[in-house]
Amino acid sequence: MIPQDIADTIVDAKAYAAEKPVDEAFKFLRKEMPLARAEPEGVAPFWAVTKHADILEVAKQNDLFHNGDLATVMTTIEVDQKVRQLMGGSPHLVRSLVQMDNPDHIAYRRLTQAWFLPQNVKKLEERIKDIAKVFVDRMADMGGECDFAKDIALYFPLHVIMETLGVPEADEPRMLKLTQELFGSQDPDLNRTGAEETSFEEGIAAIQATIGDFMEYFNAITEDRRANPREDLSSVIANGQINGQPLDHFAAMSYYIIAATAGHDTTSNTTSSGLWALAERPDDFKRLKADPSMIPAFMEETIRWGTPVKHFMRSATADAEVSGQKIAKGDWMMLCYPSGNRDEDVFDKPFEFKIDRTPNKQLAFGYGSHVCIGQHLARLEMRLFWEEIFRRVEHVELAGQPLNSVSNFVCGPKNVPIRYKMR
Amino acid sequence: MKKWQCKVCGFIYDEAEGLPADGIAPGTLWADLPDDWACPDCGSVKSEFEMVEID
Repeated sequence: MIPQDIADTIVDAKAYAAEKPVDEAFKFLRKEMPLARAEPEGVAPFWAVTKHADILEVAKQNDLFHNGDLATVMTTIEVDQKVRQLMGGSPHLVRSLVQMDNPDHIAYRRLTQAWFLPQNVKKLEERIKDIAKVFVDRMADMGGECDFAKDIALYFPLHVIMETLGVPEADEPRMLKLTQELFGSQDPDLNRTGAEETSFEEGIAAIQATIGDFMEYFNAITEDRRANPREDLSSVIANGQINGQPLDHFAAMSYYIIAATAGHDTTSNTTSSGLWALAERPDDFKRLKADPSMIPAFMEETIRWGTPVKHFMRSATADAEVSGQKIAKGDWMMLCYPSGNRDEDVFDKPFEFKIDRTPNKQLAFGYGSHVCIGQHLARLEMRLFWEEIFRRVEHVELAGQPLNSVSNFVCGPKNVPIRYKMR
Repeated sequence: MKKWQCKVCGFIYDEAEGLPADGIAPGTLWADLPDDWACPDCGSVKSEFEMVEID
């Protein structure tokens, strides 16, 4: 079994914000016990899957390792019980693609899959290029100093996904706030209550209220798009059919919520991680400016480096074996993405930020049929944004200490103070 | 020579290019890929691919 201090660290939201304790814990696990049982205090036991190959192995066997039978995101025993009490026995507060298994998962995913394929997303290129310009203009207007995470990176992907969904610009601050409340529920700067410590009842009540706000908002959007379909993603969800029937209400609302949240927070985190890394590495910044053909490899490295989604959970539907380790039916498993993305057997010098890393088999988007549906949109946005940055920014450096958000689920820089010079 | 796209993640297998890094020579036809071949980006099996025309 995993030593208690290590087990407690890999579920500790503050340890993810600090980065180093988690890196050290996973380094130990990859070397000494790559797929072992963890029993953190107050959390039901689970297997920590820390090696790149094992994460892929589990992630691709979607019938053997389910998403939806147990909580898909690591949670405490108390919270899990409360959620089940509230949700009629289900461990989930929403029912999006993330919580589904087949046959529902494939049916619901196909609804928007074509929309997110590269050839369709490419149609948005010119528009996203314009949006990237607006945000780099904003940097120029700020006169050479800003908090890159808070002032720029948060808003660029938000604007892209909201335009994609057809959410009016005036409602974007509301969507941002709700997303931060959902993913930043462990961070006093971002959560709904604003309290340093909240009881688990208060925490769940706050998350439930946030989900309620999202549902109220998207319920109105659904009604509108059913009456007046447009070319946006909301119209695809509102008018979509599964087996000849409209989506059930809860699943439709959950679909919007996942698109409206996962669609920007992760991309902002990755972009901020990338700029933070560059601000500390002026030579890399110069190389990228001199040769923009390096941007795709650099961008892939920012995704590996930041790995904003820290885990998803799976549970075994039958007795199984992974890397010689026997897993019993019903066992809970944590896919530790930051660990897979620092695996010494896959990445040369994994703790170095290498803008020309090739190959780069990073697994931050997941793997298997649950692989991130928005990955091509995310890559397109980031590439266009970086192209604009390297065209117009001459130099960038840190103007203070960056800070990560406090979360063991979706976590990344919330403050990256920088000083910069525009062309 | 044709192109095949993974319906799950969008990866394109281009018969003309093959996947030399994975030991699949340029010019390898889709039909000649082993039955247990999986999408390098998401692990989906061959039946999850469809033939596509990409600009």
